[in-house]
Amino acid sequence: MMLKSFSTVALIFAALAPSVLLRLSAAANPAPRRVEVVAKRYCFNPSTVNLKKGEPVILVLKSTDVSHGVRIRELNVDVKAPKGGQAEVEFTPQVSGDFVGHCSVFCGAGHGSMTLTFHVSG
Amino acid sequence: MRGLTLVMLSLSLFLATACKATHPKGLEARVMQTAKRRLIGNKGQKNPLPATPQTIADGKEAFSHFCIACHGLDGQNTGVPFADRMSPAVPSLASPEVQEFTDGQLKQIIDYGIWPSGMPGSKGMLSEEEIWSIVSFMRHLPPAGSLGEPEMYSH
Repeated sequence: MMLKSFSTVALIFAALAPSVLLRLSAAANPAPRRVEVVAKRYCFNPSTVNLKKGEPVILVLKSTDVSHGVRIRELNVDVKAPKGGQAEVEFTPQVSGDFVGHCSVFCGAGHGSMTLTFHVSG
Repeated sequence: MRGLTLVMLSLSLFLATACKATHPKGLEARVMQTAKRRLIGNKGQKNPLPATPQTIADGKEAFSHFCIACHGLDGQNTGVPFADRMSPAVPSLASPEVQEFTDGQLKQIIDYGIWPSGMPGSKGMLSEEEIWSIVSFMRHLPPAGSLGEPEMYSH
């Protein structure tokens, strides 16, 4: 009798364990935060994005005119949005500080001054 | 009246001669090169980017934005049909007359151009990082002709 009830408890525990573990895992690894940035000649909007160290992020870059891109090696960010389209990249900042990225696709006379700053805190 | 005609004729002849585009040669070329060496500032500024394969590749990419229209993909005018017809002619970036500039001077030339040659300034059109990476690329140019010619001249 004792053995039977122990087996039942073990069975219930085994059945519930995966979903409990999944919930715990989800709490430890929250869904990435989506950050949308619009690029057009010759600015990014917003031009500064605040991020937290260790927080996963999906950067969605949307272009409203020609092709644009952003590359920041320190944050492992490299994304290029096609003309009138969008592209995304997922990354997790591992260092804090201010990181300035420039447009990585030549887009015209003001290309050199087109910057996007990531402010990573924590 | 006759005097005025003579003056006008002389002035026209002078302007026509002065405007003719010819290659600077001999003494003229030496004087210009010495003047450039001395007049182009920013001699002491160092390239803040390390000369890694990545930097050189970045420079090659940035160079392809529009520098290739006059300098070719290889920086040595390959495939540029008018390179010899400009006055002064577009120099090969691998030539001693270009390579003897310091990194700072090359940055200065890319930033502000060289008047009165056809070299335009790119400050603001390219980022600081792109310009410095181009300087790195210029120090590590590929063999002449190895990259073919710019697509704009071959389609």
